[in-house]
Amino acid sequence: MDTPDESPAPAPAPGSRWSALQPWLTLACRLALAGILVYAAVSKYPPALSVQAVEAYDLFPHEVARLIGYTLPLFELALAVLLLVGLATRFTGAVTALLMVVFIAGILSAMARGLSIDCGCFGGGGAVDPGETTYGLSIARDIGFAALGAFIALWPRSPLALDRPLGLFR
Amino acid sequence: MGSEARKRARERLKEQRAKERKAAARRRNLIVVGVAAAVIVLIVGIGYAVLNSDRDEGYTGPLAAQTLQEDGSVVMAQEGARAPVVEVYADYQCPACRQFELTNGGLLKERAAQGEAIVHFRPVSIFAQQQVPISSNSLRGGAAARIAADHGVFVQYNDVLFENQPTEGREGFSTEQLREWFAGLDTSAAQQEEFDARLEEEAAVVTEFTEEFLPALTEDAVAQIGQETLGTMVLSDLLAWGADNGHDPGFLEGTYTGELIDATGAAYTRYSGDSAFRGTPSVYINGVLLDNNTAMTVRGLSEAIASADPGKVETQPLADGGEAQ
Repeated sequence: MDTPDESPAPAPAPGSRWSALQPWLTLACRLALAGILVYAAVSKYPPALSVQAVEAYDLFPHEVARLIGYTLPLFELALAVLLLVGLATRFTGAVTALLMVVFIAGILSAMARGLSIDCGCFGGGGAVDPGETTYGLSIARDIGFAALGAFIALWPRSPLALDRPLGLFR
Repeated sequence: MGSEARKRARERLKEQRAKERKAAARRRNLIVVGVAAAVIVLIVGIGYAVLNSDRDEGYTGPLAAQTLQEDGSVVMAQEGARAPVVEVYADYQCPACRQFELTNGGLLKERAAQGEAIVHFRPVSIFAQQQVPISSNSLRGGAAARIAADHGVFVQYNDVLFENQPTEGREGFSTEQLREWFAGLDTSAAQQEEFDARLEEEAAVVTEFTEEFLPALTEDAVAQIGQETLGTMVLSDLLAWGADNGHDPGFLEGTYTGELIDATGAAYTRYSGDSAFRGTPSVYINGVLLDNNTAMTVRGLSEAIASADPGKVETQPLADGGEAQ
């Protein structure tokens, strides 16, 4: 077997607080993002209302909007489960960040077309009075969530992750 | 073997090992990502199947009798049925109402036909105060449904309106479309003629109301009582204020458009507390407002109807009957 001095791991820099701290930061990001995703998924129930929130974006034909309305909360739930157990951490973090980018694009498109809708991010959705849109807030929130996902993707090493026994990000 | 050669051999071995380690790591990574992707597919797939099992099959059997009420609402029930009263408040331009109709329209028809529910359709226009064309679509759709009720085909027409709901903010429910949809139902030429004539009148009232009367009234009201107070007033309050302040709503008198606006105002005062009417869709069983998880799922509504006691319809049938068969 390898002798210690052959180990390819980045040599723990003397007194590197970062390498001690980072796994816990990643764990915190995983838990926070998982919690957010679970809440987002659950608040979109029942699917009939979720479909209506998707339709309000006026981007898809009815059948496609219906499919998205039904499956998006489930997808969010699945990502939350993966983050929680720490499986394929880098991949899951990246996909979640990407999902947030897609959400931001959707909100920007609604803004650009002058729609007055609720983003439907956490349930709700549909038309609101023109003075009551909160696009800025929704986008800022999604940027924050995307940042959590990006952090996880960049530094996937964390404790309490299934990845570890499987030999990943040790 | 010279020491040079030994060193080279050792180095080659080391490189070889490093390469193998990398390949193994890549393989592991791929496998784990594959497993994660499978988990996603599994959760989404199973979840979708479960959620879809809540879909109602779409009821195509015979409808229970429809009885037009004095206030323009319509009761669909078997004669003499002793069953819970399910009141449905909907705006034809409201997307969530369309989703309710798609989700539970069939269930309501079925339960009414079985004598297990008395379904009370109460069309409203909560969007009457919004901008054109949201307001005009909402009112024109509601008025057309009311004319259809005169001819005993409200429930069928209600379905067609929701099926063809205009996207919010786009012009829709044109008089041509509304006429065509009526013609597509089981109606006579004489009925069509009556429908068309009445629709022309109502459409003109809607246009006058949404494009002239209401903007002028709103402008005056903002100037005199302020945006803030105005925001707390429902449309019927605003109309009452206007009547005292030089905006005569007389042209609404006797029109179905006016009746729809009155029905909407009345809805806001009909219930109190947790059951207060706040928007559409609102579904009540025996006067108690259902939450979204109950109203917007087939299982939820089905169970709520099954577990409710018989109720009583609060409105009176229109004297000259709505069943002009």
